[in-house]
Amino acid sequence: MEIKLFVNEKLHQINVKPEERLLDVLRDCLGLTGAKEGCGEGECGACTVIMDGQVVNSCLVLAVQAEGHSITTIEGIGNRLSPHPVQKAFVEEGAVQCGFCTPGMVLAAKALLDENPHPDKETIATAMSGNLCRCTGYDKIIRAVKRASEEVLK
Amino acid sequence: MKYVRPRSIAEAVRVAQEPGTVVLAGGTDLVLQMREGKIKPDCLLDLQDVPGLKEIKEVQDSLEIGSMVTFAQLGQSDLIRMNAFALWQACQTMGSPQIRQQATLGGNLGNCSPAADGIPPLLVLNAKVRLATLAGEESISLEDFLERFPLLNHGTLIMGFRLPLEGWKSGFAKLGRRRALAIARLNVAVAVKGQVSAEPVVRVALGAVGQRAFLSHSLSSALSGQAITPDWIEQAVNCAQETVRFALGERASAFYKRVAIAGVIRKALASLTLEGGKSSGN
Repeated sequence: MEIKLFVNEKLHQINVKPEERLLDVLRDCLGLTGAKEGCGEGECGACTVIMDGQVVNSCLVLAVQAEGHSITTIEGIGNRLSPHPVQKAFVEEGAVQCGFCTPGMVLAAKALLDENPHPDKETIATAMSGNLCRCTGYDKIIRAVKRASEEVLK
Repeated sequence: MKYVRPRSIAEAVRVAQEPGTVVLAGGTDLVLQMREGKIKPDCLLDLQDVPGLKEIKEVQDSLEIGSMVTFAQLGQSDLIRMNAFALWQACQTMGSPQIRQQATLGGNLGNCSPAADGIPPLLVLNAKVRLATLAGEESISLEDFLERFPLLNHGTLIMGFRLPLEGWKSGFAKLGRRRALAIARLNVAVAVKGQVSAEPVVRVALGAVGQRAFLSHSLSSALSGQAITPDWIEQAVNCAQETVRFALGERASAFYKRVAIAGVIRKALASLTLEGGKSSGN
């Protein structure tokens, strides 16, 4: 069926099957491969995207469900020339190793900071508790988010 | 496969009658089950545009929660925190932040996982379930509803929940393999009504120790009508261990769960005394 998806401020008209996941449509139809399939069952957060300002697991959202909502992927929040403060902080703190969890982590952090600009470490950990990382041990990720929250102050 | 987003309850009920129609709430359970081939809908009935299912409101002596209210909404609601603390607590740790944004209370009941976090709190808070069928609306106590097999007849929709504001002080605790993003291996909800030092009425519900979460009448009668003291807590622990032992029988998890339940019920009872643990009308 034909649906309209509003992704990163652009409206896309695409043809999907009702059973196709948002994750697959983003990656395969729209070429937005930042969202990753880490587990396919909502247990790792590597597929995280922001929908209507809040994080969701795109592996558990059907593309047809997402019609009428506003979706932001990692590609929509910054780029090499002009990174988002969270992306900058991740790089500066060394919070990226293999990078597989990173898009999801960055989006979860951005969603948090958009709502709560000055979270403490516990709040950060809770907000990001739906994103798993096998490399970093989380410490630098949390420090990066804290750093990003302080950067925005300046 | 067809996909339909009705814009009224009447239309939703009508579509639900079609053979092969499956209801889509948040999707956090169903989407996975579809991918695994466990459920093969001919038609997906998406409830997200049906008005009136996403509200939390106080109506006379009750709290009304629409079936499409998400765990995130519940967990951020002062109304829920003040009047249904056990439910509020469950919503802090259910799933993950991402799952909580999508998952609905109605879907949690409809999917009816043995480990569902929403069900024990609703049980101890004496919730009623509002259902809609072609014949009209039905209201049934959650406890009675959970006796139905299958839980939902084809063509029946869960509209919402009604929690009477009867002055229940409630608490909840969950044990999982991690502190977040964990399915409950045990969950316990407790509710107390009346003066703690006099003869309170106590309700206890257990989850993840049977096919479905249940209200434990043995625990409730063992603990009601006595002052709440440290001895009472020990009695609760012993009785809970017996109940779990009986519920799990020969299952492999029995050894672990009948010991671990002690810690979970202690935690649930301790959370009764936290701020916000009392409901209005007390």
